[in-house]
Amino acid sequence: MVSGLLPLLLLWLVSPAPLRAFHLSGYAQGTTYAITYYAPDSTVTKEQVTRQLTEIDASLSLYQPGSLINQFNQSRRGVVADRHLKVVSGAALQVYQATGGLFDTTVEPLVQAWGFGTQPAPPAAPAPATIRVLLARVGSDKLHLRGDSLVKDVPGVHLDLNGIAQGYTVDVLATLLERHRIRNYLVELGGEIRVRGRKWPGGERWRIGIERPDTSAFEAPALQQIICLAAGAVTTSGNYRKFRQVGALKNAHLINPKTGYPFQNEMISATVVARDALTADAYDNALMGMGLTRALLFLRQHSELQAYLIYQRPDGTAADTATPGFQRLLLNP
Amino acid sequence: MTNFARRDFLQKTGLLTGGLLLPNGLVEVFATAPTADKIKIGVIGCGDRGKGLLKILQELPDKFEVVALCDELPFRLRDAQKIESASKAKAYADYRALLDARAVEAVIIAVPLHLHFAVAKAALLAGKQVFLEKTMTYDIPQAQELVRLVQQHPNQTLQVGHQYRYSPLYYRVKEMIAQGYLGKVTQIDCRWDRNGSWRRPVPEPGLERQINWRMYREYSGGLAAELLSHQMDFINWAFDTHADEIMGTGGIDYYKDGRETYDNVQVMVRYAREGMIGNFGATCANARDGYLFKLKGTKGTISLLIDEGIYYPEKETLKQYGTVDGVTGATKITWNKEGGIPITTGAEPLKDGSWYALSDFYRAIKENKIPDSNVLTGARTACTVHLANQAIYNHTIEKWRPEYNFT
Repeated sequence: MVSGLLPLLLLWLVSPAPLRAFHLSGYAQGTTYAITYYAPDSTVTKEQVTRQLTEIDASLSLYQPGSLINQFNQSRRGVVADRHLKVVSGAALQVYQATGGLFDTTVEPLVQAWGFGTQPAPPAAPAPATIRVLLARVGSDKLHLRGDSLVKDVPGVHLDLNGIAQGYTVDVLATLLERHRIRNYLVELGGEIRVRGRKWPGGERWRIGIERPDTSAFEAPALQQIICLAAGAVTTSGNYRKFRQVGALKNAHLINPKTGYPFQNEMISATVVARDALTADAYDNALMGMGLTRALLFLRQHSELQAYLIYQRPDGTAADTATPGFQRLLLNP
Repeated sequence: MTNFARRDFLQKTGLLTGGLLLPNGLVEVFATAPTADKIKIGVIGCGDRGKGLLKILQELPDKFEVVALCDELPFRLRDAQKIESASKAKAYADYRALLDARAVEAVIIAVPLHLHFAVAKAALLAGKQVFLEKTMTYDIPQAQELVRLVQQHPNQTLQVGHQYRYSPLYYRVKEMIAQGYLGKVTQIDCRWDRNGSWRRPVPEPGLERQINWRMYREYSGGLAAELLSHQMDFINWAFDTHADEIMGTGGIDYYKDGRETYDNVQVMVRYAREGMIGNFGATCANARDGYLFKLKGTKGTISLLIDEGIYYPEKETLKQYGTVDGVTGATKITWNKEGGIPITTGAEPLKDGSWYALSDFYRAIKENKIPDSNVLTGARTACTVHLANQAIYNHTIEKWRPEYNFT
């Protein structure tokens, strides 16, 4: 109670006018978004948000014909990158390095071949020969930011930033709020979240639920854990629900960019807390690919990341584990 | 087909029942054993439903080869033959001739309701595998006799065309009920409404009763048999139950056009063991609700369309969501605008329920398995429909009897 009162007092002192809650929500990037912020007045409007989202789509959306990323994919050498493409592909290259190539935004041709892309799924799993051919076009080492341009070494290199575009968008919307001196907010898009500050008038921290992975097609409305976050981002990547049955194999939608085949490991979902949503969103994917042992090792070496992992035991039951920093965020550890 | 005299028809089947006197083993010698992978199938009755199933068979070319078609009306046969799957099929005006053809291993029976039993019986006695459209039989005694007949032919499959038992969506709903998503279900609302006469065009006046058999009580169980039976069957299946008490009402309230079956019906069913009430209604004079199917429980509601389902958790179920400000998850639940969650069945888009039903018919034959929609479940639903019609037409409260359990 005492710890809750002090920030509340501070909030009261620094706020010239009483704060009110404002809610914005809508559809974007094939999913929904929701923003809650506290301010004396409605300083950020839905129009501003929509403008921001439209700008990002024009740059990063594979679903939008003529978008900058589609131009890049169709080009032989590359394109002049705008702010969004520069930031996101730059971050993607960093994570590519940090994860030893497990996180790779050029994996798109393989994703399409396995039927998880934007095009209709092929009837069968790709042949080994097809995978070998496609692998020649995959690898972020063939991708470079040079001056104002994003260039590729091989014309067939295709970029897919869908895995981190949502996290990035959450950051852009958070920045929009910050520019308007808003310090108490929650931004959520497609289950990727960034928060700062507290709720008004109670002064509570933002509470974020982590969805319980349900391996059946229908997801039960249930939460596995609830965390309290002062500032930062939380995102989740999972291997459940989105899969295709090809023969006897249930193939998950995450493809190993090095082998060309879907990751087959015990990971069910990875929830990552980081300073910003772009970082969290990139690493939740990478941790999924690492498998449990490597993921835990990696997390020990990266104290800037906190994570909560759900995985399958050899006997088929689900188990979970979390970094110590994540455990401190849990509402009911 | 309704024009051929029922008396004559009964005599013919009387002759065929002679086969029953043979010991079981001997009867089975005559049963055509399916040999090659594809099943050679004949379609008896080429009206809307028969033609609809022919189109579905077109999508199952590795499982069925349509070798025979039968309809009394030549124009229907001609129309059916235009469907690609049936282009090479031999045409018959008399189903008995089709059943005599040894090349035919299995038959789809899509004739008017009052003929279901007779044609199915003849097909079984001719050794065929049988896919019999719903409702299984016109009345209860026929249902009882068909059960006996099928039990005497254990090597033959009889599947009843309640295709929702085969739809992945409806299967998922059955699972969700078992898993407790709905909590305790007390009310089920079902409607199948239209704003239209439910008549088919008649090329010449003499064919009225044949084509619009649904309008005449001699041939048809009306809206209850043709439409509501699907939902009645689904509830029997999903809750593993049956009706205990049935009340009903109805009338010819809008289409006073010489029809005998009611154009507006409502049935109330008590499921005593489950503590549930089922409300089943159909009208031909309003289309707003169309197909409606709602299962209401203490924890949530499932609202079903033919190929779409939405789960609406009750407020109490949602409570835990109220305690958080945001939810992170790999595959975010997308709530629709009314606060519901779409029920999904996997990546593949849903096919027509009959596609799944016919695929399973193939499997049931090949593996000699009892289909999910079999003669016993079909008989229970036929009894429910018949009791509903008794209640509607006689203003009585009908009670389930133990002999309708068919256990």
